[in-house]
Amino acid sequence: MKLLEYEAKDIFRRYEIPVAKGIVVKKTDNQVINAGELGDEVVVKAQVDVGGRGKAGGVIICSADEAATKANEMFAGEIKGVPVETVLLEEKLPITGEYYVSITIDRSKKAPVILFSAEGGVDIEETARTNPDALRRVWISPVLGEIPDFMMRELLRDSPKELAPAIKSLYRVFCGSDAILAEINPLVTTEKGVYAADAKIIVDDNALMRQGISVNRDLTERERTAEELGFSYVELEGEIGVIGNGAGLTMSTLDMIEYYGGRAANFLDVGGGADRNRVCSAVKLVAGMDGVKVIVVNLLGGITRCDEVAEGIVGAGVSQQVVVRLAGTNEAEGKRILSEKGYQMLESMEEVVKFAVGEAGR
Amino acid sequence: MIYGDKNTGVIVQGATGRQGAFHIDLMNRYAESVGGRGVVAGVTPGKGGQEIHGVPVYNSVREALLEHDASVSVLFVPGSAAGDSIMEAAYNGLELVVAITEHIPVHDTMKAISYAGIEGCSVIGPNCPGTMSPGELKLGIMPAQLAMRGNVGVVSRSGTLTYEVVNELSRSGIGQSTIVGIGGDPVIGETFVDVLARFEKDPETKAVVLIGEVGGNLEEEGASFSNLPLVTYIAGVSAPPEKRMGHAGAIVAGGEGDAGSKIKRLEAMGITVAEKPSDIPVLIREIL
Repeated sequence: MKLLEYEAKDIFRRYEIPVAKGIVVKKTDNQVINAGELGDEVVVKAQVDVGGRGKAGGVIICSADEAATKANEMFAGEIKGVPVETVLLEEKLPITGEYYVSITIDRSKKAPVILFSAEGGVDIEETARTNPDALRRVWISPVLGEIPDFMMRELLRDSPKELAPAIKSLYRVFCGSDAILAEINPLVTTEKGVYAADAKIIVDDNALMRQGISVNRDLTERERTAEELGFSYVELEGEIGVIGNGAGLTMSTLDMIEYYGGRAANFLDVGGGADRNRVCSAVKLVAGMDGVKVIVVNLLGGITRCDEVAEGIVGAGVSQQVVVRLAGTNEAEGKRILSEKGYQMLESMEEVVKFAVGEAGR
Repeated sequence: MIYGDKNTGVIVQGATGRQGAFHIDLMNRYAESVGGRGVVAGVTPGKGGQEIHGVPVYNSVREALLEHDASVSVLFVPGSAAGDSIMEAAYNGLELVVAITEHIPVHDTMKAISYAGIEGCSVIGPNCPGTMSPGELKLGIMPAQLAMRGNVGVVSRSGTLTYEVVNELSRSGIGQSTIVGIGGDPVIGETFVDVLARFEKDPETKAVVLIGEVGGNLEEEGASFSNLPLVTYIAGVSAPPEKRMGHAGAIVAGGEGDAGSKIKRLEAMGITVAEKPSDIPVLIREIL
């Protein structure tokens, strides 16, 4: 889950990465904004999760007197279609140099990779194209726990040594907050020291609970409901609802739909060993989406029992046509239950998809 | 047989949970049907002294190994404790951990796999169905009835899609040497490279089916190392960017890891890419 800048900066403070003095203002609080304590000039930053926030009007520099007005203007508007609920007011830092540092996970190396650029404040992909020499990268073995000094020298080379403590702390943030991304862009030097001028953290969805995060904000309401039911679920835009077991098989079912010229409405993986209640709620969830004309159920039972699945489908009793491919444990019994109720059943993934695409096109 | 045979002794960590107990039973029924040793002990801290389907349970891997001879652990421990359990297995000298567990925090996985490597222990998974060599050994949760012994290796990031392909192969009379589900997480122990290297040394394996999906570039990396004839299939051609498709690792992120470019890179290496899972048996027959 992505954290907003002010949340990430709260974490930075805990790990002693210097950040600008700031005031967090919530739209709902109607609080009196007193930006005077931040200095004569302040930066007003909309706390929204959109790329290119600055260019879209989400970052404004103004006098302390104007700050309240600017903040309220942001609350009244949107940044790239996203409503602004929170604004961060910050002192304006007297910047003398800008750098970039990020830590992510390299899937091939199975280890965190630290990327440093002597050119901060710009798009890192732009730097990769125009000035690849400015980019430095090191991989840190997960058993080390800290960035060794030689790696720090390798990252910084002729950049100011004063940046090192912030980068070392960022690695602690990365590990301590179960991050899959921790980024400072720009990391700045000023006459009064080094600061993280921006902050970005994405927390591993598998670690939200131990990070004390109870609600994953990145999900839509329906996706959240699905997650609570233990499903993996993604909303798409077509008219064929899809329920499968296992991520690969479900993805492959979507691909088959596209291959035969149809459009899937969703991705829903019910997971292993789904019983009748889970199947029933999955069918209802998918049937509840706008524009779903037909639902494909493609289940290959290993530990999933076909009779349970069949009872779940029948129990849901949705208005749309449900076409089914079932194979595996208790297959015959599952098929008997469904055929008694007049459900369309087909033997293979291809057949069931072809049939559904035909029905959706009628 | 790239991870063991009938004589391989197996322990199960997380033996007393619903999943662990259920699969101890299935693994041992399979072992019995092929005359193998199967699961000789279970481990659940605090539950030592119990029996699960006739298998004795111990408080620790160390205690289990004092009484039983085993080289492999199959792990059903819940996500928050699974990383620790992988390290426990490695520390106690097991050669292989098959981590079935889903939802392990990725930092735990990275640390556990890295540490296991130092101790000389390989890890399959996490978030995987395990592996089986038909007629010899089943480690994990694959439905054994679909598999058939033969000469084709199968390696996949998916569970049920693997069963689908194995089913298609068996129905076409093409048997499998070893089937490996390497797992759907972004960081996994055995990758396509590792498994293909094992297949190359395996006299029983004459060709390999590689089943990949969106996210990362492990498929291309693996395929580029292999000298065995390969048929590949990549799931997720229709997957939208920046959306996690069920598996934690199945995500097209920052314009990387999409199925289209994976397929292009594989084809550029001269590797056969099947359009649909049902095309795989025909394509395998052509190269066998």
